[in-house]
Amino acid sequence: MKIVEIKDVHKIYNSSEVQVHAVNGVNLEFEKGEFAAIVGPSGSGKTTLLNMIGGLDMPTGGEIVVDHTNLAGLKSSRLIDFRMRNIGFVFQSYNLIPVLTARENVEFIMNLQKWPRRERDSRTFELLEAVGLKDRANSRPSKLSGGQQQRVAVARALASKPKFVLADEPTANLDSKSSENLLDIMEQLNREEGITFIFSTHDQRVVKKARRVITLEDGKVISDVWKKKNGSPA
Amino acid sequence: MRSLVVIISVTIGIFGGVFAVAVINGAIEQRLDDALGNEISHIHLNAPGFRDNFDIQLTIPDLEKVMGKIGETEHVKAVAPRIIITGMANTATKSAGVQILGIDPASEEEVFNLHAHTIPGTGDFFETESRHNLAYIGEDLAKELNIIRFVIDDGMLAGLAEKQIPPETLEKLSGYAGHRFRSEDDFEKKIKEILTRKELDEYGRMIREAAWSFSERSRMTLTFLDRNQVQTGAVFRIAGIYDIKNSAFEMSRVLVRKEVLANLADLTENEVHRLIVRLDDADFSGEVTSLLSENFSDLEVLEWKEIQPDLAYTTSLVTQFYAVFMAIILAALAFGIVNTMLMVVLERTKELGMLTAIGMNKKRVFSMIMLESVFLSLVGGAVGMAVSRVVILLTSARGIRFSSFEEGFEAMGYASHIYPSINAGFFITVTILIIVTGILSSIYPALKALKLDPAEALRTE
Repeated sequence: MKIVEIKDVHKIYNSSEVQVHAVNGVNLEFEKGEFAAIVGPSGSGKTTLLNMIGGLDMPTGGEIVVDHTNLAGLKSSRLIDFRMRNIGFVFQSYNLIPVLTARENVEFIMNLQKWPRRERDSRTFELLEAVGLKDRANSRPSKLSGGQQQRVAVARALASKPKFVLADEPTANLDSKSSENLLDIMEQLNREEGITFIFSTHDQRVVKKARRVITLEDGKVISDVWKKKNGSPA
Repeated sequence: MRSLVVIISVTIGIFGGVFAVAVINGAIEQRLDDALGNEISHIHLNAPGFRDNFDIQLTIPDLEKVMGKIGETEHVKAVAPRIIITGMANTATKSAGVQILGIDPASEEEVFNLHAHTIPGTGDFFETESRHNLAYIGEDLAKELNIIRFVIDDGMLAGLAEKQIPPETLEKLSGYAGHRFRSEDDFEKKIKEILTRKELDEYGRMIREAAWSFSERSRMTLTFLDRNQVQTGAVFRIAGIYDIKNSAFEMSRVLVRKEVLANLADLTENEVHRLIVRLDDADFSGEVTSLLSENFSDLEVLEWKEIQPDLAYTTSLVTQFYAVFMAIILAALAFGIVNTMLMVVLERTKELGMLTAIGMNKKRVFSMIMLESVFLSLVGGAVGMAVSRVVILLTSARGIRFSSFEEGFEAMGYASHIYPSINAGFFITVTILIIVTGILSSIYPALKALKLDPAEALRTE
């Protein structure tokens, strides 16, 4: 089942001195349950593409359809609401709310959506358990390690049961052990619960785990490789 | 930490503003109370034209009938008749132009509180019966006429020693033992010369009070023109000195018994120049004045606002002053909040971008910034108001003494010992204004937050 369709998408930044074609005619589709990585050198357009998939940025040309909804057709307030209900985000620098505990950070989106308390509490603890942080529920981000904070971020991203999760360089600020740990959790969630993950990354560990690797260069897709179960290209 | 700094700033600003208003309000209220209680009361009735030249002939006709009718009027508490004659007060060394007021002590005590301001040890004019002519004068007039002297003698030095004045200070003063200073100025010059600044600050008041000297045998002559324009006068014994911290009044008013003055001025016992009315509530002065004007159309009837318009003007002007003053304080508060919240938006650009990314809509972002701003204003304002309230309560009981400015204050008729006061309505108004200021201050920063592009915001370091 297709959840994201990217149709001939362009993104051009116009500055007074130069025009930058950050994304140049990308066509991609993502299915439910994918564990895909978008790779490429700096400036290849990975983050720009990810932002457009997440509705944080609008394409200059083409269209992006998420769950049969053309993002460009949504007004600002509807787009924000759409993001809240359908897309989860994991950021490079965790971006947890520093004054809230781990539990409160995870609950945040559910509070925005006005979930009943019992369901909210149940889902929160379920997610914290899934990322192995149930016993740190009442800790603030400053009391958690980088890896732990990123795991809370993953739990937060999954809180509203989104259609897919966008993770922009999620391991960039983590040590190797924490990175492995995080990726294992995300892989497990993907495998056991069918949660779709789309990464933008430089990290070879992510590339290794991903079952689909899309390579961008100068804003264009230069390769789109699905892996077999044994990890070799299909 | 930043929020704490803002809250403290707001607290200090609000406390400063509210307390300053309380001090000014206290001074104004005191002035009004003193003026109504000691100097003019609520309503005056005179013969038409009397106030223009104080013509001794212009007395109130049908005095008994008029007083009776006034006494029956609602809200009237008491009525005091006065003879008013301009003249001169003379002693052996000095003289001064004065207004001589012939009063009836009993009714005067009901209308005014002047008797409560008699300096202890100077006599009891209102109770004393004597074959002598008695006069009741202000402290400043007594000093001017050298009736009050400043004396350094053994008794004064012994008294100071009992009050734990240091021996070295007493030693300096004892060099002038037996000295009677010609005037207060001479005394002040001398003690400033021989004592250090520290000694003056710590013991000056006690030394002045101890050196203050009044003789019960003190006398003065009052001279004036009687109803036949013949120069007349008499010797009066000083039977009391009052101190109401109003130099102008003290210098110019001498009270004597009405019958004595009437006798000297060749007036009958039913001839007076003014009736002074005290009401049970000053708020009814306008209403009662109108009523008395109707009843006594042949008399000039004036309420206190007309008798002393500067007092009424000050009272209404000061209300406008409060508004301007608090507006300035709140404007400063607003700028502080705007500045702080803009910094908050700038520093939390990435966080705001993230919140928008994960689904916080514009209305919520706007509300979040606004609530934070209102919170800062409210907490700072509440603490500032609480501190103000406590300090006002403490100082309203003890008062604040502006000793250094005593002379200046008294010259304008204001007490230098001020009891700050503020009414509940002011507190409520300021609280509401603080909330409104917090809300208005947050609008611009909140709008800035809404304009953030989430993608760009997330790229911020």
